[in-house]
Amino acid sequence: MKALRIAAVVAGLVALFAIPQMTRNEYVLALGVSFAAMSVIAGGLNLVYGYVGLLSFAQVGFFGIGGYTAALLVVDRGWSLWAGVVAGGGLATLVGLVIGYSSLRLSRHAFAIVSLSFALLCMIVARDWVELTRGAMGIPGLPTPVMNLPWGLSWRLVRPADFYYLLMGVAALSHGLIYLVVTSRLGRAMRAIKLNEPLAQSQGINPLAYKLLAIALSALLAGIVGGLFVFYLTIVDPSIFDFYYTETTLIMVIIGGPGSFWGVLASSAVLTALPDMLRFTTDLRMVLYGIVLIAAMIVFPGGFGGWLHRRRVARWRRPRPGAPTNTPSITP
Amino acid sequence: MDPSFLAQLLLNGIVIGVIYALIAMGLSLIFGVLEIVNFAHGEFYMLGAMLAYFLTAHWGFSYWPIIVIVTVVALALGYVLYEGLLLSLHGEGFERSILLTLGLSMVLQNGAVFLFTTTPKMMETSLSYSNIVVGDLRLPVARVFALGLGLFAFTALYLILHRTRIGKAMRGVAQNRDAALMVGIDPRAVSRLAVAIGIGLSGLAGAALAPVYAVHPLMGFSFVFKAFAIIIIGGLGNVSGAAIAAVMLGILESLAGGFLPLALVDALAFVSMIAVLLLRPQGLFGRGVRV
Repeated sequence: MKALRIAAVVAGLVALFAIPQMTRNEYVLALGVSFAAMSVIAGGLNLVYGYVGLLSFAQVGFFGIGGYTAALLVVDRGWSLWAGVVAGGGLATLVGLVIGYSSLRLSRHAFAIVSLSFALLCMIVARDWVELTRGAMGIPGLPTPVMNLPWGLSWRLVRPADFYYLLMGVAALSHGLIYLVVTSRLGRAMRAIKLNEPLAQSQGINPLAYKLLAIALSALLAGIVGGLFVFYLTIVDPSIFDFYYTETTLIMVIIGGPGSFWGVLASSAVLTALPDMLRFTTDLRMVLYGIVLIAAMIVFPGGFGGWLHRRRVARWRRPRPGAPTNTPSITP
Repeated sequence: MDPSFLAQLLLNGIVIGVIYALIAMGLSLIFGVLEIVNFAHGEFYMLGAMLAYFLTAHWGFSYWPIIVIVTVVALALGYVLYEGLLLSLHGEGFERSILLTLGLSMVLQNGAVFLFTTTPKMMETSLSYSNIVVGDLRLPVARVFALGLGLFAFTALYLILHRTRIGKAMRGVAQNRDAALMVGIDPRAVSRLAVAIGIGLSGLAGAALAPVYAVHPLMGFSFVFKAFAIIIIGGLGNVSGAAIAAVMLGILESLAGGFLPLALVDALAFVSMIAVLLLRPQGLFGRGVRV
């Protein structure tokens, strides 16, 4: 079973990286890049909401901070892209720790509201602090990044396929990291905090540390991906903080199932490709997302991953045929 | 410093603060009684303003009937909202309530964009261009009426909460849900009324502000986030605290708008909120400990 799963993951990765070899269709590559970016934001949100149970609206803020920091350092200070991206991820992490620490002193309810205000504050700052961020026009014409490789080689990211490889690679590493965290002792402690915080505390788990860890990791990944993504777009402007991204990633996590690693990954892929192919206008798409969100909250709170989990538990509970049945069987 | 300029800023600040208060009080009331953060609150403000606009532009209603109609419709919408959606949460799941109302907000907001487009509309009433002039001060009548309506609604809400049986029951549920249940308060009736009043206030704010600002589908979006900051500053679930914080914020914003670059004005609410959280997490006026 485990070997089968590893084989499936390897096959999936090979297929993803083979796509640019098979097609030069830029539309497909653009979808791939946007899947890579959105899935990392959604994966981070899943870590924060699905594992430690903090509803966060700040992920898009971390994404944008990464983007702006990288762009400004490269354009104004002449840093290399990689240094800029790392700085962006670092700043996003720092900011995440500050808002997490300040609001979690009160409650997880305050965290939700503060994270929301933080995301809006980011947009306001990007729009109105013209001396730093150039205001609503943003920073256009970001240069083509060049990556220095060992043995004197360099990789100029000019074609869409180059960015596809880069972002897919970063996304694969990010998801690998998230997977390691959620399947380790850390992930079990996080789940315990979400299920029952006082009980987890009584077992010697410090909830604040794990919450901050989840926030910091998600901020770091979102910041790094944001820094790379703006160079793919070649422009960064305040619309990078658009609430639309928040709503879309929330839908990805809710439909995929909060706390389900594979569910969220799958729903990110489906929700990147499907609405785009169906060519809905944005307004109608958001109306549809809203209806899906309401329906999910009323009838389907665990998402797809939660449904699979319930089914698995029900199967375990079913008595085997032929087993002695001296206890009344539990039927859901 | 010119004193009449200062007085003008102060007056404008009070007017906008009272309107903030209308929205924030409803949000705080709903949070206090149901422990639900209503993300769709701003959309009801928008719907109130939209309805007011269409009543004037298409059916030629005058100011006072519009205020009454919009408030009654909003009260009814609140009733439907509670019975139709919020009841299914069974009081559990703070996050679920946020996501549910966020979904509702997406439907209402984008639905309005789809139907009416984002073009701002101006509501023309008989009071649109008239001013009250006192000495050097100049106040548009529509703003004065908005101020009056806000004060009236605040007084009415205060009297309901402190003088009537159902209002006392509401405060009882907000203070201690279990104890309220034990003495035989019906949480469903109380919650329903709290949501209806909250949405009603939001609709009233929309109707009162429609002649002052342009009406468009995204107007509720920015407003409601300010209201979130206000209820944190005032202490989550504390209705009077929210009202005071709202008026303070309105005055502060108006004064800041006179002296500081515009960029800082919008950020003021969020920065004060984060400062309050760091220095006095329970909010300026207490409560919030229970949350």
